[in-house]
Parts: sequence; C-alpha cells; structure tokens
Amino acid sequence: MEELDLLKKAWQKDTHSFEQVSESEIYKMLHQKSSSIVKWILVISILEFALWAILSVLFNTDEAIKSLHAESFAIYLKIFNYANYAVVVFFIYCFYRNYAKISTITSTKQLMQDIIRTRKTVQYYVWYNLSMIFISTILGFIMAFAYNPQMSELKYKIAHEDSYYTLSITICMIVVITTVFVGFFWLIYRLLYGILLRKLNANYKELKKIDL
Amino acid sequence: MSDNLEQSFVKQLKENQNIIHKICRLYTNNDDAHNDLFQEITIQLWKAFPKFRGESKFSTWAYRVALNTAITLYRKSTRTVATVTYEGQKHFLSQEDYNLEEEEQIKLMYQAVQQLNDIEKALVFLYLEDKDYTEISETLGISEVNARVKMNRIKGKLKKILNP
Repeated sequence: MEELDLLKKAWQKDTHSFEQVSESEIYKMLHQKSSSIVKWILVISILEFALWAILSVLFNTDEAIKSLHAESFAIYLKIFNYANYAVVVFFIYCFYRNYAKISTITSTKQLMQDIIRTRKTVQYYVWYNLSMIFISTILGFIMAFAYNPQMSELKYKIAHEDSYYTLSITICMIVVITTVFVGFFWLIYRLLYGILLRKLNANYKELKKIDL
Repeated sequence: MSDNLEQSFVKQLKENQNIIHKICRLYTNNDDAHNDLFQEITIQLWKAFPKFRGESKFSTWAYRVALNTAITLYRKSTRTVATVTYEGQKHFLSQEDYNLEEEEQIKLMYQAVQQLNDIEKALVFLYLEDKDYTEISETLGISEVNARVKMNRIKGKLKKILNP
C-alpha cells in the first residue's frame, strides 16, 4: 500500500520534533504513583479480602449458639470455621501467585490472560463467600427452627395447618432475602469490574479474534 | 547501586523517548492524555527495568512494555475520535522533505490509522517501526501467519477509510 509506505518513511525519519522530556522530569515521574488497572485490581482485591474477614469477625456465631442453647451444633461450626480459614488462605495464596505473574514484558495476550486470571481468583473468592452466606442462612434458619423457643409458634402453625400457606411464606421469605443480598453484590461487581475492565475485555476479544 | 540503576534508566529513557512519544501520540488525542500515558509508561518501564538484562536493545525491550501499557494497563480509554483536530502528524513531517501532495497523503493516512482500534494500531505501529512479523507476533502473542493476515486486512480497512 503506497500511502502506508509513505507514512512509514516519514515515521522512521526521527526528526526529534516531540517536546523532549528532561532527565529531571523523568526522575520525578519515577516517583509518581501508577494508576494502571493492575494496581486498581490489587487495591480492590485487598479491600475484598479485608471486608469478608471483618464480616466473619463481626458475625460471631458463638454468642448466638449460646443464647440458643444449641451447644451440640458448636463443634460442627468450629470445624466449619477452620475449614473456611483454610479456604481463605488458599485463595490469598492463589491470588498472590497469579498477581506476581503479571508482567509487562510478556506478550500482550499473555499479559491480558494473567490479569483476567488474577481477577477471576478474587471473583471465585467472592462467589465462595456468597454461597457460604447462602448456606449459613439456611443453617441458621434450621438452627433457629430447632432450638429457638420463639419459633415454636411458627412450628406449631406449620404442623397443624391443612394448607402449606405458612411454610411457603417462610420459604419464600428466605429465598427473597438471600436473592436480594446476593443480587446486590453481583450488581456491584458487574459495575466495578465492568467499568475497570471494559477496555481490557474488548481488546482481549479483538486479539483472540485474530487467531481464530 | 539503586542510584546507579536509576541513573542508567533515566539516561536510556531520555535517549529513547521518541518511541514512547510515538505510542502516546497514536493512542491519545490530546496533550494531557499524551503526558498522562507517557508517565504511566515510564513508571511501568521503571518497574520492569530490573528484569532488563541488556540482551536486547533498550528500545526493543521498551516497545513491548510501552505497547502493553497503552493497550492493557492504561485505565482510560485510548480510542481516538475520528474528528480529532489534534495535529499528530506535524511531529514527523518536516516540510522540505515532501511535496504538497505527498504531505497531504501522509496526513490523511495518519488520520486513518488513528481511527483503528487499539490492537490494529499496535500492529500498524510495529509495521511502521519496520519490525518483522516474527517480532510482531511475539510482541502481541499471536501466530505469525495470522499477524500477516491481520496486517493485510488492516491495509484493506485503511484503504476503505481513505476512499469511502
């Protein structure tokens, strides 16, 4: 293509007509903070790990068990908690490993894949937590149903009613509450990562198309 | 030691800064964005510099980091609008070398390149820098054959932009 080769010739003639950046300006730049998406992903991920850690401390289940006199449940909950810690540590390890792999000297495609993998680790972590919340809500309900004296009225109603009205209302309530909760987080994630990674995803798609 | 490293980096970057300017010019459409991207590329180059062992030329190594930053790491959208008034082409056109017609052709061609997407721009950039398809394919992480095919398609696309 003639025009492109004309441009190539002009392009390669290093005329130094760009406004040159001085050494002292470069020094200054070295100490500026990066605003790359990798940095944003790191910051957001640390916040996420911290958020779920804080939430699990805040919702101390021991007190609830004591007040319900459901001590027989306590041992299971302890095991459950330790398993949960192990999973969290595993996630943090995976995240760190994937994060450390991100390097600007690999190929563009590799770099994009590494960033996407790192972000996915956090995403899986969040899904894990949301499903834990879902399971805990159901477990909590079963526990309350079995041990909470305030629930006896409800139990009595469900057992002695001809229709399944109370039972279906109760189940509906649980489903709606957990769905709203999970949906809320899902929306935040879509927005947050959608905005942050829109360009990357578009470019990754474009790059993958070339090799199809 | 780290002072030495810093000194050596700053010196080499200063000498090779036109590569980065060219990429910034291609991926941004105003001076502020240009300077912003230049700074981000500088930071990323500095971060990666300890891994630079001098096996290749500083410039060759810098291509990859700079392109990766512009395409992948840089948060802001780098897509340039077709109606840019920003005179990017003035930076590599010195009037005495070309006749008016050629100069106009180069200008229009540059404007057409500006309308390509990020990945296409990267291919064109490496082509303009006279890189062979082996290097283009390694830099972008695509196969050599497909890099060639894509470049031909881009040429077709540019032709269409120039002669709609």
